Amino acid sequence: MKKISLIHLKAGHKGKVAEITGGSNLAARLMSMGLYKGKEVTKISHIGLKGPVVVKSGRTILALGHGPAAKIILEVVC
Amino acid sequence: MLKRIYLAGNPNVGKSLVFSRLTGVQVISSNYPGTTVELVKGWLSLGDEKVEVVDLPGAYSLEPNSKAEEVAVSLLSQYPKDEIVVINVLDSTNLERNLLLTLQLIEKGFPTVVCLNMCDDALHRGVHIDIAGLEKILQCPVVSTCAVTGKGIKTLVEKIKTAVPAVRAKFSHEELWIEIGHIIEDVQRLEHRHHRFRERLEDASVQPLTGFFIAAGVIYAAFKFVRFIGEGIINKITDPVFFDLYRPLLEKFSLHWQEKGFWFHLLIGDLIGGKIDFKQSLGVLTTAPYIEFGMVLPYVVSFYFILSLLEDIGYLPRLAILLDNFLHRLGLHGYAIIPVLLGFGCNVPGILSTRVLESKRERFIASTIISIGVPCLPLQAMIIGLLGSFGGLYVGGVYLVLFSIILILGLVLNRLLPGFSPEFLIEIPPYRLPPPGMLARKLFMRIRAFIFEAVPVVLVGVCFINILLYFRLFDFVTGIFAPLVRGIFGLPKEAVVALVIGFFRKDVAVGMLAPLGLSIKQMFIAATLLAISFPCVATFIVLWKELGFRDLVKSVLIMVAVSLIVGGLLNIFILR
Repeated sequence: MKKISLIHLKAGHKGKVAEITGGSNLAARLMSMGLYKGKEVTKISHIGLKGPVVVKSGRTILALGHGPAAKIILEVVC
Repeated sequence: MLKRIYLAGNPNVGKSLVFSRLTGVQVISSNYPGTTVELVKGWLSLGDEKVEVVDLPGAYSLEPNSKAEEVAVSLLSQYPKDEIVVINVLDSTNLERNLLLTLQLIEKGFPTVVCLNMCDDALHRGVHIDIAGLEKILQCPVVSTCAVTGKGIKTLVEKIKTAVPAVRAKFSHEELWIEIGHIIEDVQRLEHRHHRFRERLEDASVQPLTGFFIAAGVIYAAFKFVRFIGEGIINKITDPVFFDLYRPLLEKFSLHWQEKGFWFHLLIGDLIGGKIDFKQSLGVLTTAPYIEFGMVLPYVVSFYFILSLLEDIGYLPRLAILLDNFLHRLGLHGYAIIPVLLGFGCNVPGILSTRVLESKRERFIASTIISIGVPCLPLQAMIIGLLGSFGGLYVGGVYLVLFSIILILGLVLNRLLPGFSPEFLIEIPPYRLPPPGMLARKLFMRIRAFIFEAVPVVLVGVCFINILLYFRLFDFVTGIFAPLVRGIFGLPKEAVVALVIGFFRKDVAVGMLAPLGLSIKQMFIAATLLAISFPCVATFIVLWKELGFRDLVKSVLIMVAVSLIVGGLLNIFILR
């Protein structure tokens, strides 16, 4: 197990949300959209180096800007 | 006493369609979150009572995290709970995420009817929901519906009266999600489905490599189709009607005219080479209907057909992801592409839909960019119609200039305006194949709106212009501005009239340029100026409403500055 941010996860790989750092506003918004601690997510793609990230959690597909994506810390098996 | 019904639910679950089904009020619905930016109300007959129905903006939670959610929550708490029923609309294909709001609504004591919408789609995707089981757990009526086809709506109406507040303990979000997990295990059964074509396509459209490839293809095809359909309608339908049927009729009619005085001037206009010229005569019965029906309407049909198709398939949010990087440099995020695209139809809905952007700063940048750099469809149709005859290069040139303005303006505004723009956080809808009937209805609504809004203004406008021209009342204004227009833009003084008319209708304004005998360079500059200078009066009012007076003044100053600079530069640097 190791912890990495969502932007460092490779596209097509899975991870479990360990922590959402930064302001509580982001955590609350993600929480209401169904992305919270312990939830498993699959990263679908990452556009460019500083671009947005697309993830799938459950049946929901979310697009996040680079900033918010960097604040989502995942636990991954390696 | 039941007085009000609220439609609440997550974004993009089809609330607006359910609303249309219940009230008969037609509203635009699309396959992306945030279509409904204005509050819509309608009426539903329950027995012999009439109950008000309100379509709330999409919300994920009753603890508001966005402006749309704030609006929804404040409306819900406006009236006592025994006077309202909440119809909670859910997307059956994604029950889990939708249930948070449902549990919160029930928890807060709202009499709730749960409406599991998109049941056809759920079935198609192998999602089975035990309705009776869910009803028992939630202690409120649950109805499965498909608003697109109208299935289940009757049952939904019958159940409205049976809704009563249920008693539930209050939980935190974490606890709610755990409970939702249990509910899902109890009532939802998923058939295993292989990755099908649709999911592959959904994935491919947001991958860096394939995504841009697909985007380029979609945009190219969209442009081609809009022109193909638009020109097709002009060549096959409207031009034959105007030239083979309408003109002979008008000519016969005008032969009976003995003296060509005021009324002739007003209705028919000037004869060009002894004949009626629809593009140049400028009469209420000649040029006015030709501009609206013969030049603009065909493109309104083709543009909104393609736009509605892209909206309903669900492509636009994906385009937003791909453009996020680029739009960030302009102080916007990817989702701003949706207001911009709507702005290409008409600036008014474009600026209204900047409400999908969270911060005031973003809304200011987006609105200013739209009113300066995004030409509305009537204007584009006229530019294509008039400049196009000199060659596609000139039409392309106008777009190139406008695009450069958007780019530079965005970069500058992003530098100069204080603060920063928030980032993207949006749910991406699945691709859906829009039913032809729904697409047709939406297209019809948009065309009807165009005809009702544009045609009266154009007829009255042309009438008014002709009276002013006949009595030479414009001479005063042209006299004042002539040195400016000639000196900076290199345009003749008559062009002042067209530029002023641009404030009322852009298409008529371009039409007014036609009889002036401008050189191609002058035509190019005048058309570009009409695009970037002042927006039309309708856009102006919406800008005022959305931005407030201070920001409107700022925006207007930017417009004037940009017009002067760009017009002047074009005059200097274009040789012929």
